[in-house]
Amino acid sequence: MAAIGVHFGCTCACVAIFKDGRADVIANDSGDRVTPAVVAYREREQIVGLAAKQGRIRNASNTVVKVKQILGRSYDDPQAQKHIAESKCSVIDKDQKPRYEIDTGEDTKLVPPEEVAKLIFSKMKETAQSALGSDVNDAVITVPFEFGEKQKNALRQAAMAAGFNVLRLIHEPSAALLAYGIGQESPTGKSYVLVYKLGGTSLSVTVMEVNSGMYRVLATQTDDSIGGECFTEALAQHLASEFQRTYKQDVRGNPRAMMKLMNSADAAKHTLSTLGSSNCFVDSLHDGMDFDCNVSRARFELVCSLLFNKSIQPIKNLLDQVGLSANDINKVVLCGGSARIPKLQQMIRDLFPDVELLNTIPTDEVIPIGAAIEAGILVGKDSSFLDEESFAVECCAKDILVKEADDSGADVYTVLLPSGTPLPARRHHTLQSPGSVSSVCFELYQSIGKNCATEANKVAQIVLKDLEKIEETRDIITVLTMKRDGSLHVTCTEQGTGKSEAITIEVAS
Amino acid sequence: MLKEALEGQVTAVCNAITASVQFQVEPVGRWFEAFLKRRTRNVSASFRELEEEKELSEESEDEDLQLEEYPMLKTLDPKDWKNQDHYAVFGLGHLRYKATQKQIKAAHKAMVLKHHPDKRKAAGEKIVEGDNDYFTCITKAYEILSDPVKRRAFDSVDPTFDNAVPSKSEGKENFFKVYAPVFERNARWTNKKYVPNLGDMSASFEEVDAFYSFWYNFDSWREFSYLDEEEKEKAECRDERRWIEKQNRGARAQRKKEEMNRIRTLVDTAYSFDPRIKKFKDDEKARKEAEKKAKVDAKRKEQEEKERARQAELEAARLAKEKEEEEAKQVAMQAKKEKEIQKKASKKERQKLRTTCKNWNYFADNESESVKMMEEVEKLCDRLELLSMQSLNEVLASSTKEESKTAIEKMIQEVNAQLLKEKEETEARARQSSKSSEQSSSGAGGGSKTWNEDDLQLLIKAVNLFPAGTNARWEVIANYMNLHSTSGIRRNAKDVINKAKNLQKLDPIQKDEINKKAFEKFKKEHSVVPPTVDNAVPSERFEGSSADGTASPWTTEEQKLLEQALKTFPVSTPERWEKIAGVVPGRSKKECMKRYKELVEMVKAKKAAQEQVSTKSKK
Repeated sequence: MAAIGVHFGCTCACVAIFKDGRADVIANDSGDRVTPAVVAYREREQIVGLAAKQGRIRNASNTVVKVKQILGRSYDDPQAQKHIAESKCSVIDKDQKPRYEIDTGEDTKLVPPEEVAKLIFSKMKETAQSALGSDVNDAVITVPFEFGEKQKNALRQAAMAAGFNVLRLIHEPSAALLAYGIGQESPTGKSYVLVYKLGGTSLSVTVMEVNSGMYRVLATQTDDSIGGECFTEALAQHLASEFQRTYKQDVRGNPRAMMKLMNSADAAKHTLSTLGSSNCFVDSLHDGMDFDCNVSRARFELVCSLLFNKSIQPIKNLLDQVGLSANDINKVVLCGGSARIPKLQQMIRDLFPDVELLNTIPTDEVIPIGAAIEAGILVGKDSSFLDEESFAVECCAKDILVKEADDSGADVYTVLLPSGTPLPARRHHTLQSPGSVSSVCFELYQSIGKNCATEANKVAQIVLKDLEKIEETRDIITVLTMKRDGSLHVTCTEQGTGKSEAITIEVAS
Repeated sequence: MLKEALEGQVTAVCNAITASVQFQVEPVGRWFEAFLKRRTRNVSASFRELEEEKELSEESEDEDLQLEEYPMLKTLDPKDWKNQDHYAVFGLGHLRYKATQKQIKAAHKAMVLKHHPDKRKAAGEKIVEGDNDYFTCITKAYEILSDPVKRRAFDSVDPTFDNAVPSKSEGKENFFKVYAPVFERNARWTNKKYVPNLGDMSASFEEVDAFYSFWYNFDSWREFSYLDEEEKEKAECRDERRWIEKQNRGARAQRKKEEMNRIRTLVDTAYSFDPRIKKFKDDEKARKEAEKKAKVDAKRKEQEEKERARQAELEAARLAKEKEEEEAKQVAMQAKKEKEIQKKASKKERQKLRTTCKNWNYFADNESESVKMMEEVEKLCDRLELLSMQSLNEVLASSTKEESKTAIEKMIQEVNAQLLKEKEETEARARQSSKSSEQSSSGAGGGSKTWNEDDLQLLIKAVNLFPAGTNARWEVIANYMNLHSTSGIRRNAKDVINKAKNLQKLDPIQKDEINKKAFEKFKKEHSVVPPTVDNAVPSERFEGSSADGTASPWTTEEQKLLEQALKTFPVSTPERWEKIAGVVPGRSKKECMKRYKELVEMVKAKKAAQEQVSTKSKK
């Protein structure tokens, strides 16, 4: 079964397919794996993608960019207002809903943002079907974690209007985790993952807990004021000052020249992620003067150093917020096109010296690949529909620990069932005890956080008596089963003799 | 490494464990799907052993399946399979459409074990060769019941289903008893999961409404493909198949329509007989009536209230007015009274003064003096205010004759001085008026109204402006004069005619003289003193200088500064006047401009006058 995963971003959209057990990003008809989410309205046609982006210099008032920012929002919404203020295409208020005013030659057309999104989705569908055949419509679409119900609905409607059968909307950070298959192999254990997404216009950092193969968002932070475009902008400003230095002409007042410069800076920025230096060349930038400039990576990093610091800061804030240190994070996932920047990756690596940095998948393709994997899981299942209740899962409230003695005889506590484990759950553990004694005491504690268990937190003890003394160490097989309400059933069996004890601990009422 | 148990330690629970908490998880990944599946099936992999017992009991129930032997089984004709009851063949006649797939499978297995031709052959029974054996019926029954689509088609035309709809007479009495089983029976055709119950008399309006809306929008899965006369599979070619399909479709649609009609009739009759509906309707009617009544009542009440408010307002207004009048009256009365008192008092005082004076014999020695004094005293009495009279009387009463004489004389002197002053004032006024009239009449005599030079000038101009033949010429001229005259004297047509005639009588030389004189006067006035009378022109620019008292006159210092400024900022300077005003302290831009214009005019007038003088001297 084949299925599609779509990531619909502010600046770019990307589509991946799941086929024959693996997920791959599909290049669009112009050969790019990422399609700019730009729609240009011409007299008789609408153009999506690279052509629209390049044509924006000449057709700015009829070109819609960053439609995701306004999708599903009312006209008065502050975010929508911000978008309207920035948009070169005029936006008007119609019954509290924003509409793009498109001039198609003879008359003006009012286009809702959903319509623009639909065109982009149609393009993505075409791209996917070029690889899969036209009968595959099942898709999973990613949304930012902070999207509200209305925006999700608007996105879903737009995707459905484009002909997708939307299996599910999933959050971008979860898709990123899924792309790397974190926690998918064995459903035990607990880990923390930090997802760092630096997109075209926004930065979002999310801390997720992976427990028994299930993902949970602990905290997230979004900063709409920083994104890849900021770097481009900074570089373009630098280029403009370079131009001014050589030709004594200020191009900052010339919007078309600035747009050309932005396009050139964008290309240069991309090159600088792989090469040490890049050449910016714009024909007839201003007053018929050509512009040619070499930018080194060091120069770029210098120009954007403030922005880099600003991009890293939210990580620290977020860790403070959830009360974790950098060492508690087990993995860091990078996604979003701008996370490619080598300097940024270096800075994150400095922040998490001992942590595995996952960047093997191109960062802007991580999310669509995750979506495609999810689509592959869901496709063919009849019950992909979810109600709200199914998101709420009963979890173990506290860590369940057992007291053991280490080699020196001091007490150590071993976690048998970590907190946050989805219930019902069962865990097998093989514990060892010295064979020289005839009895074993198995003491259970519950605790939250790292503070050591005290007597007040002791839950139960299981004693195995009258064991035969043997030479080597004894293996005690312990099975913990916790029901949905949180009550715990523990069985301890001595492997050699089959002697066993069981106990059931009820929930505090 | 686990520890050794201490002496006396036993297996025990010390504390209760904390209850589980609910977390929001992300709906992604296969483990989430697995979790969801487990939860919806309500079984858990980790709790197999705890829940196994339950599952076992379910299975044992299945095994208890009672299969009723179908007595006519062996007489069935396999060719007539359409009319056979497939459930009965399996011995599931008591379960029918409620039978699960599992049960059907089990029943089929049992039947096959028992009735398979090979088995029977082994048992020594004689078997009919080919398809004619009754075992074919069992195969056919399984073929139909094991396929959900075919089974549904058969269920739809279940021969045991009672399609009957209760007649009207039946439903009238004990409605619930008759209709409840009918609805229950028909509910099996619905596609929806939850079927509302008919309920009883105590059901609420919402329940009844839900019930009927369910049945009016009944979504049935019942279909009649089982009754198709032709079988599509038997067709030999495409065209035939199409034809059969068409036939069948028509028949099915017809039957489906009949079925829908049946349900519709059922619901309609039930609705019409439902005692609850009747009750609700009555209730509604009563409620509406009550509402209407309440509305009318409220309206009436409101109107009454309004009327009352209006009355009260009127009353209040009337009272206030009365009170006001009363007060005014009182005030007037009080004033009158006071006045009277004052009058009386002054009268008394006057009398007193007269008597005192008389007593003192008017401070005179001889008759004539006393007569004069008397006159004076009378004057005093007339002139003096009440208060001063009182004080005078007091002085008089408390002093000797000489003293009183001096006092009274002093008073008389004062009064005389006052009188004199008044007289002077009136005289001055008279003089002034006479002077002004003199001045105005100085130009030309004649007529009741005087004509000054300006007016004459104006008249000549007007006469020239409106030549003979103009409609109502003299009125127009009079109007023009009144409009433009500066003397403020109103003239009518008659005056104007008289004057004009007068003027005409004068020889042309004289007229020239007048013109010249007027011009000269004009010049003179402008050059020496800025014109005093120019009210007709609504210009402010002369006001400052015409009335010396108003505004602040320009001091020499200011004048000097202004002149200096005018020189330093030539005409071409942008925003010249702002700059000039900035240099002259205490003067606004407007004032400076005004002053400048005045100065220009003054200079011009001076020059003109000088020229005239020089020409005159030349002559």
